[in-house]
Amino acid sequence: MAPAGLDEKARRNRRWVVVSLLPVAAFFIVLTAFPVVNLLGLSFFHVEWQDGAARFDFVGMENFRRLFSQETVFWAGVRNNIVFAVVAVSGQMILGFSMALAVKTAGSYGRALLTGIFLLPIVVPPIVIGTMWRLIMGREFGLANTLLGFFGLGPVDWLGDPDLALASVIFVDIWHWTPFVFLLMLAGLESLDGEVLEAARIDTVSRWQQIRHVIMPMMLPTIAITLLFRVILSFKVFDEVYLLTSGGPGTATEVVNFSIYRTFFRQDQVGYGAAMSVVTLFSISLIIILARAFVQRRASRREAAT
Amino acid sequence: MYAATRIKNRQRVCRTLVAALLMSAGAGAASAQDQPTISMAINQSPWLDSFVAMVDQYEEETGNRVELDVTPFGGLLEKIRNSVRASQGSYDIVNVNSLWLSEIYSGGFLAPLGEIEANYQLPEGVLSYGNTTNWDASAATFSSDGALMGVPVNGNVQVLYYNTEIYEQFGLKPPKTWDDLFANAKAIQEGGEYYGFVPRAARDSIVYNFTPYLFSHDAAFFRITGPDQAEVTLNSPEGLKALETYVKIATEAGPPGPGNIAQGELIQLMATGKGAQAIAVIAAWGQLEDPNASRVVGKINAALLPAGPDGMIASSAGHWVAGIPKNVAPEKQKAALAFLDWFAQKERQVDYVRAGGVPVRGDITGADLGDEAAFRFIEAYSQNARHAVMGLPFASAAEASDAMALSFNRAVIGELTQVQALNQAAADLAGVLERAGFTVSKLPDL
Amino acid sequence: MNRSRVGGLLANSVVWGYALMILGPTLWVLSNAFKFKIDIITGATLSPFTWMNFQELLFSRQSDFLANLFNSALIGVVSTAIVIIAATMAAFTLAYLEVKPWVRWAILGWALLFHMLPTLTFVGSWYLMYSSIGLHGTYFAVIMTHAVHNLPMALFLMVSFVGALPRELIQAARMDGCTYAQVFWRIVFPLVRGGMIAATALTFIFSWSDFAISLTLTSRDTMTVPVAIATFAQEYDIRYGEMAAGTLLSIMPALLLILVGQNFIVRGLLAGAVK
Repeated sequence: MAPAGLDEKARRNRRWVVVSLLPVAAFFIVLTAFPVVNLLGLSFFHVEWQDGAARFDFVGMENFRRLFSQETVFWAGVRNNIVFAVVAVSGQMILGFSMALAVKTAGSYGRALLTGIFLLPIVVPPIVIGTMWRLIMGREFGLANTLLGFFGLGPVDWLGDPDLALASVIFVDIWHWTPFVFLLMLAGLESLDGEVLEAARIDTVSRWQQIRHVIMPMMLPTIAITLLFRVILSFKVFDEVYLLTSGGPGTATEVVNFSIYRTFFRQDQVGYGAAMSVVTLFSISLIIILARAFVQRRASRREAAT
Repeated sequence: MYAATRIKNRQRVCRTLVAALLMSAGAGAASAQDQPTISMAINQSPWLDSFVAMVDQYEEETGNRVELDVTPFGGLLEKIRNSVRASQGSYDIVNVNSLWLSEIYSGGFLAPLGEIEANYQLPEGVLSYGNTTNWDASAATFSSDGALMGVPVNGNVQVLYYNTEIYEQFGLKPPKTWDDLFANAKAIQEGGEYYGFVPRAARDSIVYNFTPYLFSHDAAFFRITGPDQAEVTLNSPEGLKALETYVKIATEAGPPGPGNIAQGELIQLMATGKGAQAIAVIAAWGQLEDPNASRVVGKINAALLPAGPDGMIASSAGHWVAGIPKNVAPEKQKAALAFLDWFAQKERQVDYVRAGGVPVRGDITGADLGDEAAFRFIEAYSQNARHAVMGLPFASAAEASDAMALSFNRAVIGELTQVQALNQAAADLAGVLERAGFTVSKLPDL
Repeated sequence: MNRSRVGGLLANSVVWGYALMILGPTLWVLSNAFKFKIDIITGATLSPFTWMNFQELLFSRQSDFLANLFNSALIGVVSTAIVIIAATMAAFTLAYLEVKPWVRWAILGWALLFHMLPTLTFVGSWYLMYSSIGLHGTYFAVIMTHAVHNLPMALFLMVSFVGALPRELIQAARMDGCTYAQVFWRIVFPLVRGGMIAATALTFIFSWSDFAISLTLTSRDTMTVPVAIATFAQEYDIRYGEMAAGTLLSIMPALLLILVGQNFIVRGLLAGAVK
């Protein structure tokens, strides 16, 4: 009787494994296999439309050769995008984490109010964020310069000055996407073990030490995953740049995804645009792998030290 | 009041008479009766309401139906591509922006109108905006020798806007040449209160904005010298003179930071009365005359663009052409053409202007519109429309424009000298032309 | 004691200063819904009041904003539900159960790869796929595509949240003879609620504000809010007032959902504490 029951359980368990993974696998196979493979394949082709039909010319590595030897704007975009990713993501992580801590310790009313306020920016459609911040940061009539004017400062050309434009775009990105980090950090904090926190509060001297040595290590998985997605999303930034500056002045705010948009979509050079996407994909993967290795090495070194 | 009503009545009588005449003559080739319902991809725009009014009028007059699929401007190209590239198209008429025309024509997606209705010609008086209604497939460029591919549905070219109040204050006259324009702008700028001239020098629009300067200096981006042969002529002495003029006006007599001034900022500066002059498309007119959006209602006027040293004048075309895709049923194609032909007739175009649209004909005068002040732009529009050019008449226009825009923009913000910018832009353009299959020759670097 | 009070005050002022930084621009943007365009572009703070933008948005012939709101809500809710259920189940299996390593790598690796490529480069393929089987422009097409587009992030988040649960608890339950399904529904599901709500909120917001996919895959009848709002950013006329009015109307449901959601988070915590 007992072995039969065990068998039954094993069968059910096997079924669970299959059933639980099936929806995700099905989604990926049906809806992403063709687009992704198509995109990767396109990077080796030159596509032209003639007489209403597409003509695919296999060009081997030509698109990549051109990208590495003749392209300048794309690489300016890569450079800007790295600056963008580092500054914007750090800003968002620090702000988002601090604000989540603040909300966690606030009273119940303050907590509801602050959560509501902090989440506002991500519910505004990106197209509205872009157009409206362009108005706010306008040199002539913008709200930002009006406020500075009260203090006798300005006017500052936030988006028209090549030295300032990238900083302004980064500012808007931090404003827009900090709620993303905040929300995940808050969820992470809520799920921490209350008893451990209470014990830590009694044991440790200062609040900073408590954050540094108790909360942060416990939050590490959440922090890592949030960081991962913020970095990826910051390499996919498009709407804000498109609407605020369209990559200008000069190449001051050019970013990778904007280059891809212009090439792949506006100029309809799908092969070349696909090659740009592939190169971007490899670059982000490399960054992630390096970051992972770095974190693991530090972690193992710390373990060895203790 | 009474006089105005009388004029309107007289026009109505005229219109009915003309309509009756046309009908008795069999109304040309395309009959407008008993056609199947057609669908049209069109973008949301300031002139959409006037177009809708014409569709209503068409439906009322003929009993035919035209369904409009209204899309954001930023999404129309994608929708058009998706539809015309499919084996069965979802639109019987696609509304193509001048920027996309070469791509859609050269891709072979549209049915030449002469194949839908044997020997169909555009009605007399309809503008071709630099031959953009015709495509010569063998030379891969716009040409009056090519096949007729579409009917313009919304006219749009650049005009010179100027604020008459500021002009009076400084005792100025509308400029005839670029030097006049610069002198006017300088005088106003030095007054300290207004910006003399507002350029549109952001990367996404600078090539379009620079085109009239270039062509009026008797220069061009490139010229086609034979089948699949092109010569890049941008980096000529005339081209340099044009760029120098552009940069001088943009940087010495206008707002600071011109490198990020796009259409939005330009209209903002003009509508608030802060900018005295600008070169922009006639499509901006409605906004400047709308009291809810403008402080300069009744104070703005439009003029012919300034001439170059030898008296040449050019204006960038920014119009829309309706094309009929190959991948829809023949009876739908016929119905689509019937509607477009109806729409392009002079009396309908007068109605179109009255409803707030920009006509696609060059023969509509102030008198046709009862000389009403609201339509005072019409003469300047017609003049500019006759000088309309397409700066980059080949299939990879978008790629060429993006490539050159960067160099011009960097010249405006001072990252490159004019000579460097021109050489770089010419080299980039040559690269694009080569990739497009041309054998390219190029002037030596400046 | 004194030092900590000063520190507390400082921290408080930073928090409320940041809140002001968020609130100020947002309120300014929303206030544009009640202004004439000329006052918006001149940056006026106090200006004549008008309902005109709402009238244009809700009652003009070209605009069908209430239907757009309904479409967005339907597409957002259904696609989010699908994503969260699929991601949570898969996350539990991937985090705790004996799955062949290549399966784990294939699923997570592919999810990440797909997520890293620009969405823009896929929409053409999706259009082709759906229109070839006659599903273009249907709710089904948009819902499924939003779901797959948001699945990678939800999957990774849920793997992380589920993985953070106390391992002993799950081991103990399995020792007690629970099947995997029972462990999932009785232990994992209630404990991971806080994380699920955060993932739900983000997934919903990404679906709610998506433009690229919705633009290409919707038709007139299934058009969503961001596409509708984008119609006011025209080639030669950016109609800020109508955009702000649309934003105001579209923020409300999303905000409501988040506020309700945040109550859930608190309750999720309580449920976790009782364990």
